[in-house]
Amino acid sequence: MKHVVVVGSGASGVHFAQSALDNGWRVTLVDVGRTAPAAELPQASFAQLKGEHADPAGYFLGERFEGALFPGGKGEYYGFPPHKGYIFAPLDGLALRSRGFDPLLSFARGGLAEAWTGGSFPFTADELRDFPFEPERLLRYYGVIAGRIGVSGAVDDLARFLPGHEHLAPGLRLDVHSEALLGAYERAKPRLNRELRCFVGRSRSAVRADEREDRHGCTYLGRCLWSCPREALYTPSITLRALLRREGFTYIPDHVVTRVEADDSNRVKRVHARHVASGAALELDAPRVAFAAGTLASSKLLLDSLRAHGGAAPMLTGLMDNRQVLVPFVNLALLRKRVELDSYQYHQLALGLERDDPRHYVHGLVTTLKSALIHPIVQSVPLDLASSLWIFRNAHAALGLVNVNFHDERRESCSLSLETARDGSSTLLVRYEPAAQEPERIRSTLRDVKRALRQLGCFAPPGMTHVRPMGASVHYAGVLPMQHEGGALTTTPHGESRALGGLYFVDGSTFPFLPAKNLTFTLMANAARIADEAFGR
Amino acid sequence: MKHSSDEPSPASPRPPARAGAAQRADPLLERECDVFARYLSASAPSDYVRERYLAAHAAGVVEPPGGASRFERWVVRRASTATWLARALDAHQRVFANGSLLRRKLVLLLALLEVRAPHADALDTPTGSSRAAMLFVLAWLGVRFALTVALTTLVLAPFQLAFKLGARA
Repeated sequence: MKHVVVVGSGASGVHFAQSALDNGWRVTLVDVGRTAPAAELPQASFAQLKGEHADPAGYFLGERFEGALFPGGKGEYYGFPPHKGYIFAPLDGLALRSRGFDPLLSFARGGLAEAWTGGSFPFTADELRDFPFEPERLLRYYGVIAGRIGVSGAVDDLARFLPGHEHLAPGLRLDVHSEALLGAYERAKPRLNRELRCFVGRSRSAVRADEREDRHGCTYLGRCLWSCPREALYTPSITLRALLRREGFTYIPDHVVTRVEADDSNRVKRVHARHVASGAALELDAPRVAFAAGTLASSKLLLDSLRAHGGAAPMLTGLMDNRQVLVPFVNLALLRKRVELDSYQYHQLALGLERDDPRHYVHGLVTTLKSALIHPIVQSVPLDLASSLWIFRNAHAALGLVNVNFHDERRESCSLSLETARDGSSTLLVRYEPAAQEPERIRSTLRDVKRALRQLGCFAPPGMTHVRPMGASVHYAGVLPMQHEGGALTTTPHGESRALGGLYFVDGSTFPFLPAKNLTFTLMANAARIADEAFGR
Repeated sequence: MKHSSDEPSPASPRPPARAGAAQRADPLLERECDVFARYLSASAPSDYVRERYLAAHAAGVVEPPGGASRFERWVVRRASTATWLARALDAHQRVFANGSLLRRKLVLLLALLEVRAPHADALDTPTGSSRAAMLFVLAWLGVRFALTVALTTLVLAPFQLAFKLGARA
């Protein structure tokens, strides 16, 4: 039986592994694999937790109150809750330095997508233009992945930006605010479409309402941000758990891969890892290795491997990420209404702005505020707290947020390189410079978004728009682009490295272009494509 | 939606007295918690909220980075004597020292109140006023805030100066 070693259990790794197993390969997955805390009171809703949990402050704010956001603090309104800290906890011995970029890595079982909001947005044929294969070869895998993870949504006005695919289940029950926005859109549609080229529709999310054989449906507990206790919202650790039951699959947790070793003909032959706690070395013979550790970690592994193999680590250029801008808004029609806490918490609607170049499409995730913590918002109102609270009580149901995503392109000025210390340890240097035209692009887009919101009966309070730092979206890609032909720092259309044969990159490292969309759904589809095309029967 | 009393459910995963037993009583902090809770929610805090408020202070999360000045501590002491003073000093600090000790204490307490029933529900229920009444109250809140800030600035200026001079001496 042919054998492949997979590094990392994130969205790419588990779906690559699943397809490789389906194709008859033996798969060994090496992973640090930090685990999530057990779900607490899994049947209780967000509101019930506040009455039934023995220590709700510990649950919502953390044992050391680290989830409490104080005035002037660095946190965001929609920050990650404390018990998701395990997802982003750093790893000793993996050093990073950055300029113009706030990098996030994960060593959790399931990787960064353990904290995603489920956005499952297929790329269009235009957005796949730089990918070195016919779009259909990837598009069909959206259906495969949707069948595995459960994706809901609708083929509506956003279909021009979000292609349809198989296994798209009907959307969840809309919360009252999202329903009101969709109703307002229907009334304002002619002007919005014509004047702003703005389209609104149902978001696509990796969550379904119906019970399936192996998965629960969403019961609207309102606990999405704190991790769905019923696992209705898909995360890769669910797939990993299913893989553990399969013949031919071996999982090696608590190990961090340090490099791959190649033979004289520059083909990989061995994987080197160490135990996270003891430091004990582990070596695995492997003629084929698939890196799925995410763009930053996979790149560092390649650079460390090249350094060990040839003595020098080159600079990788073309790092991409989606710039995100948060635009809070108030829907005047919902002032003085009671907020609907028992509802799906993440984005149920999306807003698309068409641009002259279809690759420059702007994607907005529309999240209506329901069961988030209120103290970060209340303290930002420019009044005393009691008055701010009075306003919030009457405005909570009317509040929402558009998370505006921008596309990114590969540029030489955005790079990853290695700095080596005397003791042999290495630090990954991340450099990012935004495109020169970015400020104007953001300014004109925000003007359109705010005009669209006004057409929907909403207004964006001045001074509240927040440009997130680059790196915050965690949609990293692009440093080892897939190309038909290229140099050593490119990959084949199957993601195979041209520097080290037998080494495949099945994560976002190989994307030659990054549209304004969460790339996780495409990561999974591309990983399954590579497994089928390069790891067939 | 079900809200129970402040008593934990037997199904809860953590023992309720976890930190409570470990916290020593601190009458000043408890009074401060009571006054601030009445200021924010017009009701007394539950035992749980009070205990967590003390625990957060014991854990050192309330102190501003770099520590609080003597003036900030004096402001907290004054604010903890009456709800109207808490409001007045909160308004002043919102404008001139948003990250001050008083603001941090109030925000911490708000965070604790919002995660515990029945406070949580009370903090998140619309007041039920008409649109016209709401606009009127909004305007009144703005005017009152501006007047309060102006007045407290005048009253506090000599004290602030005295603390500054005292610190230099």
